[in-house]
Amino acid sequence: MIPPSSHLAANLDDPHNVRRWLQTYHPKQLALLNNFEISLRLGRFSTRGCDGTDSGSSAQQQQQQASSSSKYQYGKERRVITTRTVELLRSIIGSTRWGTAAQLLTLLRGLGNELHAAGGYREPAIGNMVRRIMYAVRDEADRAPVMATSTSTTTTTENAHKMEVLTEQLASTNLRATRALSLSSVLWAHPQHITMKHSRQPSGSVDYSDRMLALTDSSDSTGAGGGSGGGDLSLGADTSASTHYYACYPPHYYNRRDDLRQSVMEAIQEIMSELEDLHKNINEQAVQHIHAGEIILTYALSKTVELFLKAAAAKKRKFQVIVCEGSPHFGGHAMAKSLAGAGIDTTVIHDAATFAIMARVNKVLLPAHAVLANGGLIAPSGCNMVALAAKQNSVPVVTVAGMFKLCPMYPHEGQDTLNDLISPSSVIDYSLLGDPVLSEVEFVNPVHDYIPPQLIDLYVTNIGGFQPSYIYRLLAEYYHSDDWDVFE
Amino acid sequence: MASESDAPPPSSTPNEAAAASASAASSTAKAERKAKPANIVIPPKKPKLNKAERRALQEAQRAAKAGGGGAAAAVGQEGGGKAGGGKAGGEKGGIRTSESGALSTTASGVSGGDATVVKRGHSKSITEEEKKDATPDADDRDTRGNREDKMVSLFSHLPRPKSQSGSHTHHLSSLLASTTQQSSHFHPAIPTLGHLYLTHSLLGGNARCRAMLQTFALLLQSYTPPPTSRDFRHDIDHALLKPAFQYWTTQCRPHSVSMGNAFSFLKLAVANLNRELEWNAAREILLESMEAYVTERIEFAGKAISRHAGTKIQDRGDVLLIFGKSEVINRLLLDAALVDKKQFRVIVVDSRPMLEGRDTLSILSKAGISCTYVLLNALSYLMMREVTKVFLGASALMSNGSVLSRVGTACVALLANSNHIPVLVGCETYKICNRVQLESITGNELGDANEVACTDCARVGPSNRWNGNMSDGGEEKRNDEDALAGWKDQPNLKLLSLMYDLTPSDFVTGIVTEVGILPPTSVAVLLREMSPESASTVDSME
Repeated sequence: MIPPSSHLAANLDDPHNVRRWLQTYHPKQLALLNNFEISLRLGRFSTRGCDGTDSGSSAQQQQQQASSSSKYQYGKERRVITTRTVELLRSIIGSTRWGTAAQLLTLLRGLGNELHAAGGYREPAIGNMVRRIMYAVRDEADRAPVMATSTSTTTTTENAHKMEVLTEQLASTNLRATRALSLSSVLWAHPQHITMKHSRQPSGSVDYSDRMLALTDSSDSTGAGGGSGGGDLSLGADTSASTHYYACYPPHYYNRRDDLRQSVMEAIQEIMSELEDLHKNINEQAVQHIHAGEIILTYALSKTVELFLKAAAAKKRKFQVIVCEGSPHFGGHAMAKSLAGAGIDTTVIHDAATFAIMARVNKVLLPAHAVLANGGLIAPSGCNMVALAAKQNSVPVVTVAGMFKLCPMYPHEGQDTLNDLISPSSVIDYSLLGDPVLSEVEFVNPVHDYIPPQLIDLYVTNIGGFQPSYIYRLLAEYYHSDDWDVFE
Repeated sequence: MASESDAPPPSSTPNEAAAASASAASSTAKAERKAKPANIVIPPKKPKLNKAERRALQEAQRAAKAGGGGAAAAVGQEGGGKAGGGKAGGEKGGIRTSESGALSTTASGVSGGDATVVKRGHSKSITEEEKKDATPDADDRDTRGNREDKMVSLFSHLPRPKSQSGSHTHHLSSLLASTTQQSSHFHPAIPTLGHLYLTHSLLGGNARCRAMLQTFALLLQSYTPPPTSRDFRHDIDHALLKPAFQYWTTQCRPHSVSMGNAFSFLKLAVANLNRELEWNAAREILLESMEAYVTERIEFAGKAISRHAGTKIQDRGDVLLIFGKSEVINRLLLDAALVDKKQFRVIVVDSRPMLEGRDTLSILSKAGISCTYVLLNALSYLMMREVTKVFLGASALMSNGSVLSRVGTACVALLANSNHIPVLVGCETYKICNRVQLESITGNELGDANEVACTDCARVGPSNRWNGNMSDGGEEKRNDEDALAGWKDQPNLKLLSLMYDLTPSDFVTGIVTEVGILPPTSVAVLLREMSPESASTVDSME
């Protein structure tokens, strides 16, 4: 048997090595990953996943999917993809041989990159899930930090290790208690201010020289302890580039801890159950937000909004829903049908009539593709217009979204943030383009809109309702600021 | 008179016709006297009635009155209004429903009761619509019940769209049938134009107004006042103008403000004729003034707007955003590109239900203007990015400065305003209306709700819309693809299609008229300056 720690230390030092590492040691898990990526690329989750996992109107959904297979509908399978992502990560993390928190984080980052490249950039929830598990890992690792006094913790006996852990736990609780009183701990719930952004740059700066020293020490010692150099060299080809990744993590992350796997798996299980209870938790708040006799306007298709409205209707609230059809994808049609089926008084309008009807609307419910760090919203294209019209008429805009849509990123690219331009086949019939006159015309068909936070009044999430200005604070509870940067 | 209007129309039952002809012998004087109220309900027939016919009607009417119940509708319309529910009433229901493309013709006494609602004077068209709304509701509960429920309560004050459902063909045939039966009274140009209005084959304030005036010119040319007439002005007004206009407005499609203004101009022109004039001379004067109206208020105005707005288009580098289709906007863009040789880009924004932007796109592309075509959903994506100016057309200008235009215009103006991009509205002064309106709900027009369900429309241009709907293949395809194909059978589900929306004046930077570029706050001033006479008369049309 190969001594795991040494190998992993050598190979799992760079996210780019993850695939090779899996290939060498865990071909089974690699196959899982490949399968997932293929499904993601081909968009298979929409057809297979929904009937299995979505408890909603599956028959109707199936029928719609059958009918609209040619139509563009992404975001529809989001919850399925999210759940599958967590399942995949769980099975990979649970059955592979990583030793330390740092290795696990590297593994996760590598997986994140993989998934991002395979289509995750379209589905921010995938990256979010990876980040959340990374945060859970950090949390677990921080809970009982082992002082990096000696890099040879791997060689200490079990008893000594446990002792150390205990003392460190005590120390950390003390530390935490003192920190709770300071201003910084109020602003930063977790020690995120120890960020080392520029440590990822090739040149180690002066400030980190001591840490770099310690790290080179550790790599040296592990390398010496591990021994099997041949594999290291062949697999970790770009060791020079990989060294600075060590700097991402605090020293105690490099200590081996046996209880880490157990607690990380528990954390993942928690995330899973949160995803499962997502709609239940959101829908519990429905009656707080929807009163009798209301006229609610919503845009296009959203499972979350649909279930939210149905939950309110189930509580015997009589209200009226106006659905914008969401041209050119017409998600609103399916939405309206489903809502009407649940006994809600539903009216479908053209998108163009949004402004006209807004004068009589009490509340606007918007679907979410992603929630951004500044409290802005990425929603189906056309929603910005709806939100603006609502603002103009002083109609409150409420967004219903699970926390898994919370993305640690800012909309630096304006309307291009997380956006995608897709085929204009739904905008214009290609047969018309045979006309030489029209062949010069440019057709634009974006998928999403960025809605600035000032146009949104409330986010209803599975952990409660928040105003947009509070979103940045939630980020600190869900992601570590070192993991914010996007996967490549 | 009521019975007059009821009896002649097509669906008259045989016995009613018999009754009418049987009693064809009576005073002419009375006929003359009652001629006026007759037009209240259903327009036409007055002109071509000969004496005998009129007498017959008169007689029938009087008989009805005496009977107190028989032809109660007539009585009802006179104001006496008892729910007699006789033949005439039943008939009325029949006509209504068949003309509005509905299915059943079962009539009952309810329509007689409805008749009591009728008011006189200005509110003619409104009452007409009220009745239309009420009658089918009561009459055809079982056959139409489903559809009636589909009315969005918020908009129940608006007249129902006439071309409901895919029964367009059915409607067409019923229209034709009704016209053949009325042919002795109705110039064929009237239903022809009506059909164009109804099917939306003729769209746009200018085009509709022009067509209306042309049709009136046609009617005038073939019209001679009856020898008995004492005042041809009165005859033209009541026998020619009003019936046709009311037919279009009530049976086909509510008139636009442009049509309303042109019509009141025409009425004014007729009223201003010298009574002593020979008919032929009067006709010449009328035709001339109508032509002048079209040239001055529409054609020249368009030219002037194009010139004014052209100064605001910058050569090289301007990216103009336009919405849908507007004659005056297209014209100014073409002028700027072809006459002034300016180089600019145009973003054509389009939206359902009409998808008129397709036409604009091909017009502008043919002129060599580089275009981008997007649907309304891409608006926020493009608006901030590159647009430098927004040009919008208008169906009407309210005197508080707000702009009534094709649905979606307000959304475009809103986004432009929020991105601080100037919005110029091109509008001829004859489209200024002395009404004020605050939001789009009070005054609007309902479109065909079925168009909402048909997602195919997104890809089919407006020109072949009807073809697609009518062919069997298209029908089946719709059922397969559209999520809302069976919406009428689904309880709780309603579809709403609005034709217009109101852009608040806050969103509008300037209004380009033939007299210059004005802030929207000056519309009321303009209205006063431009047409003091229309200010007083337009209102009577509404």
